[in-house]
Amino acid sequence: MRRTLSTLALLMLGLMLIGAIWQPHDPDAVNLSMRFALPSPDHWLGTDQLGRDVLSRLMIGGWRTAVVLGCVAAIGMIGGTVFGVTAAMLEGWRGALILRAGEMFIVVPTLVVALTAAALFGLNPVTAGMAMGLAGIGPYTLLAHALARRLLAEPFVQAARALGVGGCGLVLRHVVPNMTPVLFAHIGANAGLAVTAYAALAFLGLGADPSKPDWGAMLFEYRMFIFDHPLLMVWPGLAIAMVAATLNAVFDAT
Amino acid sequence: MTLPARITLRTVTSLLVISLLAFAVISAMPSDPVAIAIRAWNLPPDGATVAGLRSQWGLDRPFLERYGAWLARFVRGDWGLSFRTGEPVLAEFLQRLPLTMTMALSGLALAPLLAVPLGFLAALRPSGWIDRATRGLAVFVQAVPSIWLGLILLYVLGVQLRWIRPFTRDWNGLILPVALIALHSLAVLTRVYRRDLLDVTRQPFFRTALAKGLTRAGALWRHGHAHALYAMISAFRAEASWAVGSTAALEVLFGLPGIGQFLVESIAARDYPVLQAYVMVVAAWLLVLNAGVALCLAWLGPSRP
Repeated sequence: MRRTLSTLALLMLGLMLIGAIWQPHDPDAVNLSMRFALPSPDHWLGTDQLGRDVLSRLMIGGWRTAVVLGCVAAIGMIGGTVFGVTAAMLEGWRGALILRAGEMFIVVPTLVVALTAAALFGLNPVTAGMAMGLAGIGPYTLLAHALARRLLAEPFVQAARALGVGGCGLVLRHVVPNMTPVLFAHIGANAGLAVTAYAALAFLGLGADPSKPDWGAMLFEYRMFIFDHPLLMVWPGLAIAMVAATLNAVFDAT
Repeated sequence: MTLPARITLRTVTSLLVISLLAFAVISAMPSDPVAIAIRAWNLPPDGATVAGLRSQWGLDRPFLERYGAWLARFVRGDWGLSFRTGEPVLAEFLQRLPLTMTMALSGLALAPLLAVPLGFLAALRPSGWIDRATRGLAVFVQAVPSIWLGLILLYVLGVQLRWIRPFTRDWNGLILPVALIALHSLAVLTRVYRRDLLDVTRQPFFRTALAKGLTRAGALWRHGHAHALYAMISAFRAEASWAVGSTAALEVLFGLPGIGQFLVESIAARDYPVLQAYVMVVAAWLLVLNAGVALCLAWLGPSRP
């Protein structure tokens, strides 16, 4: 079960990354004589209202979603570790201040922060991913703080300290490597949420470049054809749901 | 300091910090609000107008002074004029807020009311059909985006079966968005409630209760419910934050004129007063909800600080 899930997740990630460099057709090539084509050997998922290949557009959307995931995970890891470990090393009011700020950030809804960022800077995977990552730093800071506190009290860390390893060396050699896996598992457990949140953002299309197919933006575009061509809106939704479900399942099992 | 006072203090501080952050980010924008206003309101683009607007909005003063002036005006109810509609932002929000709040709050209220009986039945027979169904639902709603589920329900219930009439101005148009919000929270809260109820069954005192002749249902209710309720209300905070965040997409999907849709329409016009007001309203809303949850937890909790 565990092996199958991981293989599936890796396969999906591979497909999303392939979308960055290769698609079966030009995703923006308009072909009005081929509007609303049903799935065929040439167009695996059919074509949309302008005759564009749906699969190619989905693959670009997959690559963009992968960028969002990467940004969210990187910011959560780095920010959580830096703030959490700093708070653990600085006992007293400075550490408490960091933790208070972290608690405050838990209240702020990720989607609203990302919405604000999209409104101000335009929507693209990097700004959206950075906004969602920053909005999510709060809980990871608290988690990293708890982990670092526990590790700092461990005998092997105490021994290293007694041997004369300084603050920085202690943190980098002994504390951070031991807390990374736990932190990563927690961030992964929220990765599915980042996929659906980015889809909601792209659906709203705030300051988005309409020529860039995001899964959420495709849902927005194809919802017009719900009466006559309901199949069109199935594909992007299915892609979001499959990626989110795989991520949830993989990290739930760890 | 008593607990309610402490919670109030924390809520007000958080709101101030969030307002300062939002104000800082929005005023650090490269685009000039005066230029936007002149374009949006068709004012004469001469030096006198520019200077007049700049001094009226205090753009020539230092940042903290500007923030203080803005905060004073905001608290008094002067939220500025919308660049897009030219109307006072406060009036625009007051007109739209009831719809957004009805939608999010009824969805959020429905979820715990249904989660308790469902979670209880699931814990009564672990691996029974209710337990399996709620687990399936939880996996489903955490992966399927609510906008897509909304589209599919729109197609099945609205187009094929014609059971509901979406896009109407009465309560009929609210059924689907409320159901979508409730469904997401319901699934998560049911699982939390069930998990903590089952935790209790492994405790020695639970076995004692059974040995003294209580039925499983009776013992769960008498000795497990309060404990599981506590965990469920803690989990409610994250759900509330999710629900409020997702109202904007649901409003756009179902064509409901709430504050989220107003924001989305305003963004294209770079309507910063509206953006600032939206952040403040949502933050205040969530902070009040959180304060309420904190009070609930203190009242339910086993130990008092």
